[in-house]
Amino acid sequence: MTKKILMIDDDPDFVSGIKAILDKAGFEVEVAYNPKDGMQALQTKKYDLLLLDIMMGRGAEGIMIARKLRKDIKLRELPVLILTGMREQIAFLFPGEPVHPRFVEVDEMVEKPVEPKLLLEKINALIKTAEAKKAGK
Amino acid sequence: MTDTITFGQEISNLLYASEGEPLRTCIQCGTCSGTCPVAGYMDHTPRQIIAMINQNMKEQVLESNTFWYCASCYYCTVRCPQEINITELMYALKRYSIWKGHYQEGLIGPIFSEAFVKMIVSGGRSFEPVLAPSYIFSFSLREFIQEISGATELMLKGRLPILPARIERLDSFKRMIGRIIPMGGLE
Repeated sequence: MTKKILMIDDDPDFVSGIKAILDKAGFEVEVAYNPKDGMQALQTKKYDLLLLDIMMGRGAEGIMIARKLRKDIKLRELPVLILTGMREQIAFLFPGEPVHPRFVEVDEMVEKPVEPKLLLEKINALIKTAEAKKAGK
Repeated sequence: MTDTITFGQEISNLLYASEGEPLRTCIQCGTCSGTCPVAGYMDHTPRQIIAMINQNMKEQVLESNTFWYCASCYYCTVRCPQEINITELMYALKRYSIWKGHYQEGLIGPIFSEAFVKMIVSGGRSFEPVLAPSYIFSFSLREFIQEISGATELMLKGRLPILPARIERLDSFKRMIGRIIPMGGLE
Protein backbone atom coordinates (compact mmCIF):
# COMPACT_ATOMS: atom_id res chain seq x y z
CA MET A 1 0.00 0.00 0.00
CA THR A 2 1.30 3.45 -0.84
CA LYS A 3 2.06 5.61 2.13
CA LYS A 4 0.27 8.93 2.38
CA ILE A 5 2.31 11.95 3.37
CA LEU A 6 1.03 15.41 4.15
CA MET A 7 3.40 18.31 3.67
CA ILE A 8 2.70 21.66 5.30
CA ASP A 9 5.08 24.28 3.95
CA ASP A 10 4.57 27.78 2.60
CA ASP A 11 7.50 27.76 0.18
CA PRO A 12 6.27 26.60 -3.25
CA ASP A 13 9.78 26.08 -4.65
CA PHE A 14 10.87 23.91 -1.75
CA VAL A 15 7.59 21.99 -1.86
CA SER A 16 7.86 21.19 -5.55
CA GLY A 17 11.42 19.92 -5.07
CA ILE A 18 10.59 17.67 -2.13
CA LYS A 19 7.36 16.51 -3.74
CA ALA A 20 9.27 15.38 -6.84
CA ILE A 21 11.64 13.32 -4.68
CA LEU A 22 8.81 11.72 -2.73
CA ASP A 23 6.63 11.08 -5.78
CA LYS A 24 9.50 9.27 -7.42
CA ALA A 25 10.03 7.18 -4.30
CA GLY A 26 6.42 6.02 -4.54
CA PHE A 27 4.78 8.07 -1.81
CA GLU A 28 1.44 9.78 -2.16
CA VAL A 29 2.02 13.39 -1.25
CA GLU A 30 -0.55 16.03 -0.42
CA VAL A 31 0.44 19.63 0.15
CA ALA A 32 -1.02 22.40 2.27
CA TYR A 33 0.55 25.78 1.75
CA ASN A 34 -0.63 27.33 4.98
CA PRO A 35 -1.11 26.09 8.55
CA LYS A 36 -4.88 26.52 8.44
CA ASP A 37 -5.39 24.27 5.41
CA GLY A 38 -2.86 21.89 6.92
CA MET A 39 -4.74 21.53 10.20
CA GLN A 40 -7.97 20.98 8.30
CA ALA A 41 -6.43 18.25 6.17
CA LEU A 42 -5.00 16.55 9.27
CA GLN A 43 -8.38 16.49 10.95
CA THR A 44 -10.33 15.24 7.96
CA LYS A 45 -7.97 12.71 6.36
CA LYS A 46 -5.59 10.02 7.47
CA TYR A 47 -1.87 10.24 6.81
CA ASP A 48 1.13 8.07 7.55
CA LEU A 49 3.54 10.95 8.06
CA LEU A 50 3.61 14.71 8.34
CA LEU A 51 6.34 16.91 6.89
CA LEU A 52 6.19 20.18 8.77
CA ASP A 53 7.76 23.57 8.16
CA ILE A 54 8.28 25.90 11.11
CA MET A 55 8.16 29.48 9.90
CA MET A 56 4.78 30.06 8.28
CA GLY A 57 1.90 32.50 8.48
CA ARG A 58 2.40 34.92 11.33
CA GLY A 59 5.51 33.33 12.82
CA ALA A 60 6.44 29.94 14.17
CA GLU A 61 3.08 28.43 13.21
CA GLY A 62 4.68 25.04 12.62
CA ILE A 63 5.43 24.84 16.33
CA MET A 64 1.80 25.62 17.09
CA ILE A 65 0.70 22.73 14.87
CA ALA A 66 3.18 20.36 16.53
CA ARG A 67 1.86 21.36 19.95
CA LYS A 68 -1.74 20.86 18.87
CA LEU A 69 -0.84 17.41 17.57
CA ARG A 70 0.77 16.48 20.86
CA LYS A 71 -2.49 17.22 22.65
CA ASP A 72 -4.70 15.43 20.12
CA ILE A 73 -5.39 11.82 21.09
CA LYS A 74 -5.98 10.71 17.51
CA LEU A 75 -3.05 12.55 15.97
CA ARG A 76 -0.53 12.05 18.76
CA GLU A 77 0.86 8.91 17.15
CA LEU A 78 1.35 10.50 13.74
CA PRO A 79 5.08 10.64 12.98
CA VAL A 80 6.27 14.17 12.25
CA LEU A 81 9.38 15.19 10.36
CA ILE A 82 10.17 18.82 10.94
CA LEU A 83 11.90 20.44 7.99
CA THR A 84 13.27 23.86 8.73
CA GLY A 85 15.74 26.28 7.26
CA MET A 86 18.78 27.43 9.19
CA ARG A 87 18.21 30.81 7.62
CA GLU A 88 14.79 30.99 9.20
CA GLN A 89 16.44 30.56 12.56
CA ILE A 90 19.32 32.89 11.83
CA ALA A 91 16.80 35.49 10.71
CA PHE A 92 15.59 35.71 14.26
CA LEU A 93 19.02 35.11 15.73
CA PHE A 94 17.72 32.83 18.37
CA PRO A 95 20.16 32.39 21.19
CA GLY A 96 21.07 28.89 22.23
CA GLU A 97 21.63 25.96 19.93
CA PRO A 98 19.77 25.74 16.66
CA VAL A 99 17.85 22.66 17.70
CA HIS A 100 14.25 22.03 18.45
CA PRO A 101 13.00 20.47 21.61
CA ARG A 102 10.79 17.43 21.05
CA PHE A 103 7.40 18.85 20.24
CA VAL A 104 5.66 15.61 19.45
CA GLU A 105 6.54 12.22 20.90
CA VAL A 106 7.38 10.82 17.51
CA ASP A 107 9.20 13.55 15.72
CA GLU A 108 12.49 14.31 14.15
CA MET A 109 14.07 17.37 12.62
CA VAL A 110 16.01 17.87 9.41
CA GLU A 111 17.47 21.16 8.31
CA LYS A 112 16.94 22.67 4.89
CA PRO A 113 18.45 22.17 2.36
CA VAL A 114 17.68 18.47 2.61
CA GLU A 115 19.71 15.67 1.06
CA PRO A 116 17.19 13.45 -0.83
CA LYS A 117 18.77 10.22 0.42
CA LEU A 118 18.76 11.35 4.02
CA LEU A 119 15.17 12.56 3.71
CA LEU A 120 13.94 9.21 2.38
CA GLU A 121 15.90 7.33 5.03
CA LYS A 122 14.36 9.39 7.82
CA ILE A 123 10.86 9.12 6.39
CA ASN A 124 11.06 5.36 6.02
CA ALA A 125 12.51 4.96 9.50
CA LEU A 126 9.81 7.13 11.07
CA ILE A 127 6.96 5.31 9.33
CA LYS A 128 8.45 1.94 10.26
CA THR A 129 8.80 2.84 13.96
CA ALA A 130 5.28 4.21 14.05
CA GLU A 131 3.88 1.05 12.46
CA ALA A 132 5.84 -1.22 14.79
CA LYS A 133 4.49 0.75 17.72
CA LYS A 134 0.95 0.43 16.43
CA ALA A 135 1.32 -3.32 15.85
CA GLY A 136 2.78 -3.77 19.31
CA LYS A 137 -0.28 -2.33 20.99
CA MET B 1 -4.92 20.89 -5.05
CA THR B 2 -2.87 22.89 -7.53
CA ASP B 3 0.67 21.83 -8.20
CA THR B 4 2.30 25.09 -7.26
CA ILE B 5 1.16 28.45 -5.99
CA THR B 6 1.74 32.01 -7.15
CA PHE B 7 3.50 34.78 -5.25
CA GLY B 8 0.12 36.40 -4.65
CA GLN B 9 -1.15 33.21 -2.99
CA GLU B 10 2.06 32.92 -0.97
CA ILE B 11 1.44 36.35 0.48
CA SER B 12 -2.21 35.48 1.14
CA ASN B 13 -1.01 32.42 3.04
CA LEU B 14 1.06 34.69 5.26
CA LEU B 15 -2.19 36.51 5.98
CA TYR B 16 -3.95 33.22 6.43
CA ALA B 17 -5.98 34.47 9.39
CA SER B 18 -8.04 36.42 6.88
CA GLU B 19 -10.29 34.30 4.68
CA GLY B 20 -9.36 33.67 1.06
CA GLU B 21 -7.22 36.14 -0.80
CA PRO B 22 -8.08 39.57 0.61
CA LEU B 23 -5.75 41.39 -1.79
CA ARG B 24 -7.85 40.23 -4.73
CA THR B 25 -10.70 42.39 -3.47
CA CYS B 26 -8.61 45.57 -3.84
CA ILE B 27 -10.35 48.07 -6.11
CA GLN B 28 -7.22 50.23 -6.55
CA CYS B 29 -8.95 53.33 -5.21
CA GLY B 30 -5.71 54.66 -3.74
CA THR B 31 -7.19 55.64 -0.39
CA CYS B 32 -4.32 53.83 1.37
CA SER B 33 -1.67 55.71 -0.62
CA GLY B 34 -3.43 59.02 -0.15
CA THR B 35 -3.70 58.37 3.58
CA CYS B 36 -0.20 57.04 4.21
CA PRO B 37 2.00 59.58 6.02
CA VAL B 38 5.22 58.03 4.70
CA ALA B 39 4.05 57.26 1.15
CA GLY B 40 6.30 60.08 -0.09
CA TYR B 41 9.40 58.15 0.96
CA MET B 42 8.33 54.82 -0.51
CA ASP B 43 9.52 53.41 -3.86
CA HIS B 44 5.98 52.21 -4.50
CA THR B 45 2.85 53.36 -2.73
CA PRO B 46 0.76 50.77 -0.85
CA ARG B 47 -1.79 50.74 -3.68
CA GLN B 48 0.96 49.94 -6.17
CA ILE B 49 2.37 47.20 -3.94
CA ILE B 50 -1.02 45.49 -3.78
CA ALA B 51 -1.35 45.70 -7.58
CA MET B 52 2.18 44.32 -7.95
CA ILE B 53 1.45 41.38 -5.64
CA ASN B 54 -1.70 40.61 -7.59
CA GLN B 55 0.44 40.55 -10.74
CA ASN B 56 2.97 38.24 -9.02
CA MET B 57 5.84 40.70 -9.44
CA LYS B 58 7.86 39.01 -6.70
CA GLU B 59 11.29 40.51 -7.45
CA GLN B 60 10.05 44.07 -7.67
CA VAL B 61 7.99 43.75 -4.50
CA LEU B 62 10.88 42.32 -2.45
CA GLU B 63 13.28 44.93 -3.81
CA SER B 64 11.03 47.82 -2.81
CA ASN B 65 11.37 49.71 0.46
CA THR B 66 7.62 50.19 0.90
CA PHE B 67 6.97 47.74 3.71
CA TRP B 68 10.15 48.70 5.56
CA TYR B 69 9.03 52.33 5.61
CA CYS B 70 5.57 51.47 6.93
CA ALA B 71 5.19 53.12 10.33
CA SER B 72 2.32 50.79 11.32
CA CYS B 73 -0.05 53.68 12.03
CA TYR B 74 -2.96 51.59 10.71
CA TYR B 75 -4.57 54.59 9.01
CA CYS B 76 -4.77 52.77 5.64
CA THR B 77 -6.39 49.77 7.30
CA VAL B 78 -8.97 51.96 9.01
CA ARG B 79 -9.87 53.77 5.81
CA CYS B 80 -9.77 50.91 3.29
CA PRO B 81 -13.29 50.60 1.79
CA GLN B 82 -12.67 46.90 1.10
CA GLU B 83 -11.49 46.34 4.68
CA ILE B 84 -8.13 44.93 3.63
CA ASN B 85 -5.71 44.82 6.53
CA ILE B 86 -2.90 46.63 4.74
CA THR B 87 -0.72 47.04 7.83
CA GLU B 88 -0.84 43.29 8.39
CA LEU B 89 0.19 42.92 4.75
CA MET B 90 3.23 45.14 5.37
CA TYR B 91 4.19 42.99 8.38
CA ALA B 92 3.72 39.87 6.26
CA LEU B 93 6.04 41.25 3.60
CA LYS B 94 8.67 42.07 6.23
CA ARG B 95 8.51 38.51 7.56
CA TYR B 96 8.62 37.06 4.09
CA SER B 97 11.65 39.06 3.02
CA ILE B 98 13.53 38.28 6.27
CA TRP B 99 12.79 34.56 6.00
CA LYS B 100 13.93 34.55 2.41
CA GLY B 101 16.91 36.77 3.20
CA HIS B 102 15.92 38.91 0.23
CA TYR B 103 15.63 42.66 0.66
CA GLN B 104 16.89 45.93 -0.76
CA GLU B 105 20.48 46.61 0.24
CA GLY B 106 21.28 49.48 2.57
CA LEU B 107 17.96 49.40 4.40
CA ILE B 108 17.96 50.02 8.14
CA GLY B 109 14.76 48.04 8.76
CA PRO B 110 16.00 44.42 8.57
CA ILE B 111 19.18 45.05 10.60
CA PHE B 112 17.31 47.10 13.15
CA SER B 113 14.62 44.43 13.57
CA GLU B 114 17.23 41.77 14.08
CA ALA B 115 19.12 43.83 16.68
CA PHE B 116 15.87 44.67 18.43
CA VAL B 117 14.55 41.11 18.67
CA LYS B 118 17.92 39.82 19.85
CA MET B 119 18.10 42.48 22.53
CA ILE B 120 14.57 41.91 23.84
CA VAL B 121 15.06 38.15 23.96
CA SER B 122 18.32 38.41 25.90
CA GLY B 123 17.50 41.21 28.33
CA GLY B 124 13.75 41.68 28.22
CA ARG B 125 14.08 45.42 27.64
CA SER B 126 14.94 47.92 24.96
CA PHE B 127 18.32 49.65 25.37
CA GLU B 128 19.01 52.42 22.86
CA PRO B 129 22.85 52.42 22.79
CA VAL B 130 22.79 48.82 21.48
CA LEU B 131 20.29 49.71 18.77
CA ALA B 132 22.08 52.84 17.60
CA PRO B 133 24.86 51.15 15.56
CA SER B 134 22.23 49.58 13.29
CA TYR B 135 21.31 52.97 11.86
CA ILE B 136 23.73 55.63 13.07
CA PHE B 137 26.42 54.96 10.44
CA SER B 138 24.01 55.67 7.62
CA PHE B 139 23.71 59.25 8.90
CA SER B 140 25.64 62.20 7.54
CA LEU B 141 28.46 63.51 9.75
CA ARG B 142 26.35 66.38 11.04
CA GLU B 143 23.43 64.13 11.97
CA PHE B 144 25.88 61.67 13.52
CA ILE B 145 27.39 64.32 15.80
CA GLN B 146 23.92 65.62 16.63
CA GLU B 147 22.78 62.14 17.64
CA ILE B 148 25.89 61.53 19.77
CA SER B 149 25.70 64.88 21.54
CA GLY B 150 21.99 64.37 22.17
CA ALA B 151 22.66 60.98 23.68
CA THR B 152 25.52 62.32 25.83
CA GLU B 153 23.32 65.08 27.18
CA LEU B 154 20.57 62.59 28.03
CA MET B 155 23.10 60.36 29.75
CA LEU B 156 24.50 63.24 31.84
CA LYS B 157 20.98 64.10 32.95
CA GLY B 158 20.43 60.49 33.91
CA ARG B 159 17.72 59.90 31.31
CA LEU B 160 19.68 57.28 29.41
CA PRO B 161 21.15 54.40 31.40
CA ILE B 162 24.80 53.52 30.78
CA LEU B 163 24.22 49.84 31.46
CA PRO B 164 21.24 48.01 29.99
CA ALA B 165 18.40 47.36 32.41
CA ARG B 166 17.30 43.80 32.93
CA ILE B 167 13.82 42.76 33.87
CA GLU B 168 13.11 40.79 36.99
CA ARG B 169 12.70 37.03 36.62
CA LEU B 170 14.34 36.95 33.20
CA ASP B 171 14.16 33.13 33.25
CA SER B 172 10.37 33.09 33.24
CA PHE B 173 10.34 35.61 30.43
CA LYS B 174 12.72 33.50 28.38
CA ARG B 175 10.60 30.43 28.97
CA MET B 176 7.59 32.38 27.73
CA ILE B 177 9.46 33.41 24.58
CA GLY B 178 10.57 29.80 24.14
CA ARG B 179 6.93 28.74 24.05
CA ILE B 180 6.29 31.02 21.10
CA ILE B 181 9.42 30.78 19.01
CA PRO B 182 11.63 27.74 18.51
CA MET B 183 14.75 28.44 20.53
CA GLY B 184 17.06 25.59 21.17
CA GLY B 185 18.36 24.83 24.65
CA LEU B 186 15.84 27.00 26.45
CA GLU B 187 12.88 24.76 27.01
